[in-house]
Amino acid sequence: MSRYSRFLVLFVMLVLVVSACTKPAATTPAPTTAPAETTQAAAPGGPTAEPLKPGQVEIRWFIGLGTGTDPDQLTAEQEVVDAFNAAHPDIKLVTEIVTYEAAFDQLATEMAAGNPPDIVGPMGVDGAESFHGQWLDLTSLIQKNNYDLTQFDEGAVNFYKTGGEGQLGIPFGIYPSVMYYNKPLFDEAGLNYPPHKYGDKYKWPDGTESEWNYETVQKLAMLLTVDKNGKDASDPAFDAANIVQYGYVPQYQDARAMGSYFGAGSLVAADGKTAQIPPEWAAAWKWIYDGTWKYHFIPDQAVIDSPEMGAGDPFGGGRVAMALTHTWYYSEIALENWDMGVVPSYNGKTTANFNADTFRIMKATKNPDAAFTVLKYLLDDASLKLLNTYGAMPARTADQADYMKALDEKYAWKPDFSVAVAGIKYADNPSFEAWIPNYLEARARVANDFTSMLQSTGGLNMDDEIAKLKSDLQTIYDKKQ
Amino acid sequence: MAIGELLNRPKTREKFVPLRKLSPNARREALTGLAFISPWIIGFLVFTIIPMIASLVFSFTNLQLVQETPLQWNNFENYTTMASDPQVGASLAVVLKFGGISLPVGILLPLLLALLMNNRNLKGSPVIRTLFYMPYIVPFVAAVFIWGGMLNSETGWINEALRWFGVLNPPTWVDSTTWVYPAYVIIGIWGIGNSMLIYLASLQNVPTELYDAAKVDGAGPFETLLNVTFPMISPVIFYILVLAVVDLFQYFLVPLVVKNGTGAPNGATMFYNLYLYKTFFVFQNMSYGSALAWVLFIIILAITLVLFKTAKYWVYYAGESNR
Amino acid sequence: MPSHSKIDANRRKSNWKKALRALMVTGFSLILLALFLSPFLFMVFTSMKSPQQMSAVDAPIWPAKQETFSYQGKDLDVFIVPLPDGTTRRLAMVKPGRTSSVFIDPQNPNGGQITWQGSWRTLKKPWTWSPNWQNFVDVWNLIDFPRLMRNTLFLAIMTEIGVLVSCTLVAYGFARFRFPGRGFLFTLLISTIFLPSAVTTIPTYTFFLKIGWVGTYLPLIIPAFFANAYDVFLLRQYFLTIPHEMDEAAMMDGAGPFRIFWSIILPQSIPVLVAVGIFHFVYAWNDYYNPLIYLSTRPELQPIAVAMSRFNGIHSTNPHLIQATALMALIVPLLIFLLGQRFFMQGIVITGVEK
Repeated sequence: MSRYSRFLVLFVMLVLVVSACTKPAATTPAPTTAPAETTQAAAPGGPTAEPLKPGQVEIRWFIGLGTGTDPDQLTAEQEVVDAFNAAHPDIKLVTEIVTYEAAFDQLATEMAAGNPPDIVGPMGVDGAESFHGQWLDLTSLIQKNNYDLTQFDEGAVNFYKTGGEGQLGIPFGIYPSVMYYNKPLFDEAGLNYPPHKYGDKYKWPDGTESEWNYETVQKLAMLLTVDKNGKDASDPAFDAANIVQYGYVPQYQDARAMGSYFGAGSLVAADGKTAQIPPEWAAAWKWIYDGTWKYHFIPDQAVIDSPEMGAGDPFGGGRVAMALTHTWYYSEIALENWDMGVVPSYNGKTTANFNADTFRIMKATKNPDAAFTVLKYLLDDASLKLLNTYGAMPARTADQADYMKALDEKYAWKPDFSVAVAGIKYADNPSFEAWIPNYLEARARVANDFTSMLQSTGGLNMDDEIAKLKSDLQTIYDKKQ
Repeated sequence: MAIGELLNRPKTREKFVPLRKLSPNARREALTGLAFISPWIIGFLVFTIIPMIASLVFSFTNLQLVQETPLQWNNFENYTTMASDPQVGASLAVVLKFGGISLPVGILLPLLLALLMNNRNLKGSPVIRTLFYMPYIVPFVAAVFIWGGMLNSETGWINEALRWFGVLNPPTWVDSTTWVYPAYVIIGIWGIGNSMLIYLASLQNVPTELYDAAKVDGAGPFETLLNVTFPMISPVIFYILVLAVVDLFQYFLVPLVVKNGTGAPNGATMFYNLYLYKTFFVFQNMSYGSALAWVLFIIILAITLVLFKTAKYWVYYAGESNR
Repeated sequence: MPSHSKIDANRRKSNWKKALRALMVTGFSLILLALFLSPFLFMVFTSMKSPQQMSAVDAPIWPAKQETFSYQGKDLDVFIVPLPDGTTRRLAMVKPGRTSSVFIDPQNPNGGQITWQGSWRTLKKPWTWSPNWQNFVDVWNLIDFPRLMRNTLFLAIMTEIGVLVSCTLVAYGFARFRFPGRGFLFTLLISTIFLPSAVTTIPTYTFFLKIGWVGTYLPLIIPAFFANAYDVFLLRQYFLTIPHEMDEAAMMDGAGPFRIFWSIILPQSIPVLVAVGIFHFVYAWNDYYNPLIYLSTRPELQPIAVAMSRFNGIHSTNPHLIQATALMALIVPLLIFLLGQRFFMQGIVITGVEK
């Protein structure tokens, strides 16, 4: 008997201890209403271990919806945070770093639980649109702080004035498009480099000239696609099963980016609810699809993913002659002797679509003024340091010259950075990432599923697939109407 | 000791009798049992029940991460939407197709491996066992890259090996609607170390006298396996089976990472739980995602209950309370 | 003595048979192991490759360095070139071309340029075995490896204690005692793993946020002390295979339930306790999602799995660094397994009571 009672006493003590520890739980209501109201108060004291000094507010900077989580970038960001904290005793800036593939879930969880960060970035339109309606309109803060927006290009400022929600961001980094090319591969083939000025023609070895359009790119890319015997893709004896070098890759482009290089457009009609496929986009998809599966000058997904091709970074792998993508990429190319040419035209019109990154303040922030102080610091004092580590071109016009100069000194083989600046003029409007109805589901259908199909499934009838995409998009749009 | 006698013990049916109606002895036993399981009961009440109920409540609302329409009670609307959502049926079909290969492999292969590792004739077994277990320790991030490199249709080691053996057109694995399931099963096989370990532990507990008795009865190795080993470790086989079913219905991490959650090729990898995950986190539709989750819960519960019912015909518990 | 020699002969014969059987079983296992571990070899090789080799055209699958020759300030690739006179020489390529390429002889760089007709892509390159140990040094420097190991070990050990203590007690309760509602409670226990984590994440996070535990180790450690369905289910299944007679004998001797648990059930369950211990240790060691979600603002508390994912950024993946980190992180759980699995020797299970 005594053994039983001893055990029961132990058990009762355990229960008491546990219930004492978890007392707050009993008084906490089930969180059924929390997710909708992100403004709800967060845990007292915030998530940091060190208590805040009296009068100090904590500002949490969330990094991960775009670039910014590489180990060397973390070092730069930490230096910025330390410098900020040293200069601002009333604010404690802390970072929250989550790599891209987990960042969207993490932010969603924090928002739903009522524990959102204050500042999020760097991120592009895509990252921001994934949390549509959650960003603070900065108009009143800009006025209150007399923040000068004229130091930026007007177009860049208006880029963040979308959907009648006010000024959702201040320009920070911009990324025009360029055609990267691998000089040694052109030299080996005895071909001239792509033009460096918009409007210039491409010069063939025999002296004839062609318009710098996608037809020319295709012809050129086929000459630069080589099998293991050294035969190029325009040679009848070309062995498509053993390709060792490719001519062109639509690097990091989802189907929307692919389409908009042929012409800016939108997947939704002006009425905001009818699905449409811009004819230029359909032409672009067919061009890329045939380039991959029929003419073989574009690597398919399996090739792109293979470690020998750079494990997802084909141009950086050194076996692709040309890659069309945005300027942030040059900070990450593990290759030497590349340069930049201009974006080709389609039907006589050039569209060099455009990425832009900035930091945004969340609507749910409890300290908008302190958050704006941090934002100003990131955009002004820390901007060059951060832009450098992110590989972004400054949106502030006055900084661009210094930035170019710094770049010129960085690369021994002197790539022509003026090409990048010249591309700003050909930005796409509307942006290829712009909002469409039921954005998250519609984007998944076109940017993930459709892109993946283009690059990994051969033997399809593209007209059928495009018609199917359109009807699927309509179904997805209709869900939210 | 005859084996048959062991196996044919009568089983008592459990009936719910309120605590106070029990005899003093039985009540004492009941209280002691409850005391032993109390850590779990407390943990369940504190950490588990709130999230479970919350998700059930969500499934009857129109909750979204970004609430565009006013939050309201939706009755069974999410559940009726599911009935007309073609992806739900398609995803369940994907799960069943994959399970047709993955379940038998996931249950039998580790058992065979454990028997091999438990063989007295195996020399150097500590090291060999460790090496078979090792892949299970490889972190997921690293494993994804390893299998990307192994299964790549152009340059992967598996296809290079197949070509070397004279296969002209080796499978395109994760890009083929036929081969994607075997490919995922192969990835899964790499992690069977854990099930092997569980089988191995249970094989230790088969009393050696039973093997000696079987030998005296003149039983061969296969008969011994069937009549001694199998019944003695059947509770653990049952454990592996139940967990394999749960894992099958919750399978989503590999297709999420390998094919970026697109369900490619052609929807063949849009597993039910992947669709649920996408609905919840990518499309941020929390209420519909919760409804999908609760239907999944009911499906797994039903299958598990059926498995528990069948257990009395083939699972043998030497230590079952049957006084 | 004829009978003796006959026994000797029989013994020799059976020894010989035994050796053959050992050879066959062990040989078969080794072949199986070789197949099974080929992806692991891929991992080891990748961790030792230089970034240059990762993207080289005809690089071998093993870590290797390409032969180069430094000429006029440039590193030229060396090729194995068959010459028209039938000899084969190692030449450095100065200028590649589609139909003809220009080489020089590294042995005699001043001997002038050699123009070779044909496609250089058909030429082979000499590669030499050269593991790039620098990857491991880079990992050590890029992430604070010792601190990450400490954090990971702390989490793994704390939760290990919680899991072993709570799960054995609960499993014993379910396996050995009759109480009203036992079937229902057990089904409830198992069903806690039926709901996919996607939908429970947000409510769970909200709960821990409200009690102020987000940003600490508490949400990761404390729940481990309240048992989990996986391990309770496994232990209960195992306890049910232990015959009841021994409990009864002990009870006759006046042993209480806790004493029976301690001196009869546990000693007979060492293999499964070791298995659960290893199982949980590895789980805690590699757990990525939970530490990430609760410690995202506290990088100094994060375990190795979270830090490892940094090498897998949005546009820059470093497979060689990921594999190097993974290999370095593998060592501790591997040692644990190597030590733990010596309890899986058939026949030496310690039994509390003679059967």
